[in-house]
Amino acid sequence: MSPATLITRKEAGDLLLSVRGLAWLLAVAAVLSAFGLLLVSNTELSLLDNAQVVYDMVAIVTALGSLLALVIGIDTVGGERERGSLVPLLLTPVARDGILAGKLGGIAIAWAVMYALALPYLWAVGSTGQNLAMGMLTLGLLGTPVVLGFGFFGMALGAGLSSTRPALLAGLIALMLSASPLVLGPSLRQAAIGRAFDAVNPFSAAVNAYDAVIIDSQAVLAQASHLAVALGWFALMLWLARASFRRLAR
Amino acid sequence: MGRTPTAFVAIALVALIGLTGGAPRAGTLAVDLTPAPGNPASPRMGDQLSFHSVIRNNGPAAADGLIAWLSLVRIDRGHEQPVDLEDWSAHKAVTAVALPSGGTIETDWPMRLIQDGIYRVIVSVISRDGTALTPSPPVDFSVRPKPVVESRRVLPVAFGLPLVLGGVLLWRHRGA
Repeated sequence: MSPATLITRKEAGDLLLSVRGLAWLLAVAAVLSAFGLLLVSNTELSLLDNAQVVYDMVAIVTALGSLLALVIGIDTVGGERERGSLVPLLLTPVARDGILAGKLGGIAIAWAVMYALALPYLWAVGSTGQNLAMGMLTLGLLGTPVVLGFGFFGMALGAGLSSTRPALLAGLIALMLSASPLVLGPSLRQAAIGRAFDAVNPFSAAVNAYDAVIIDSQAVLAQASHLAVALGWFALMLWLARASFRRLAR
Repeated sequence: MGRTPTAFVAIALVALIGLTGGAPRAGTLAVDLTPAPGNPASPRMGDQLSFHSVIRNNGPAAADGLIAWLSLVRIDRGHEQPVDLEDWSAHKAVTAVALPSGGTIETDWPMRLIQDGIYRVIVSVISRDGTALTPSPPVDFSVRPKPVVESRRVLPVAFGLPLVLGGVLLWRHRGA
């Protein structure tokens, strides 16, 4: 087994089998359960609202996944440094890229588990509506690069800043800014600044693709421009995480 | 100050009658609207319906700048309102540069049923040179309700998954 795989297994085990990791998953499940129960109590929903429900839930999963990945990314470097376990890891005869790949693998597995956790909820609220399968597919296609990008961003912050506290603060502010399309109305986003922000914001790309596929019944393949923004974010953050981790290793 | 709302309605009606009655090409266009043969007999939310319209120019001259559009209203008691077609259909209007005398334009109007209720659909047509609005005969249809978010699906998931995760968490916590 390669060192990267070993590190991935350890990271994923820490995240998913530890009490802290399970508490995270339980918190995610509690949020999604609360949303589902809120919907059951509403008897005035039309079929369109059903698509809206799936869209909302997919966007919530992306936001929660991004938050999870960001915190894990910061903790996996900055937290280990504060606990004193990073230096021994860097002293092992494993290539820096191998260590980085192992840690990235841990974030990817955590997101995969969260995605799997969200599927029953999406089925429960959206199975009688439209475009559920396409919505799940779009969440996988667009949500994955966005969420993993935030994980890499967290790693870069954890490596670049001296303490986890400022890294966490900077990361949360960036995430809130990026996820602002969830709370801003369409009219605000139609202004020139809003349109420019939408054009480069990976979170906007994801939610716009969800809206197009789930509510407007557009084809997933027609979302290539949104996917390009999400993949651009993924590649940029991967490069940043790699560069920050290498600087840390020197 | 002395005019009542009834007086305003009367003035508006007179104006409307004058507008339609005085139009030089009133009655030259005719619109027929029928449900498509493949429509479900008792449609429910989520089903697709289609309506077929035939616009005919019965006048002696061509009609220029034709615009035909679909209107949908909800008519069940207590819910009377026009419906925004944005969510129901992407095919809301057709246009034609000209319709020669005796010519016809046939159009299919697909529709996805978003909400339950009793509805009336009408296709209206107007031309550039005619001031009269020509409506089709109305077609009524009912949409049966369909459960949107089913509690029998949501409740097991909403309670089951946190319970399972909570159980595993408790078990791991005791083990630790």
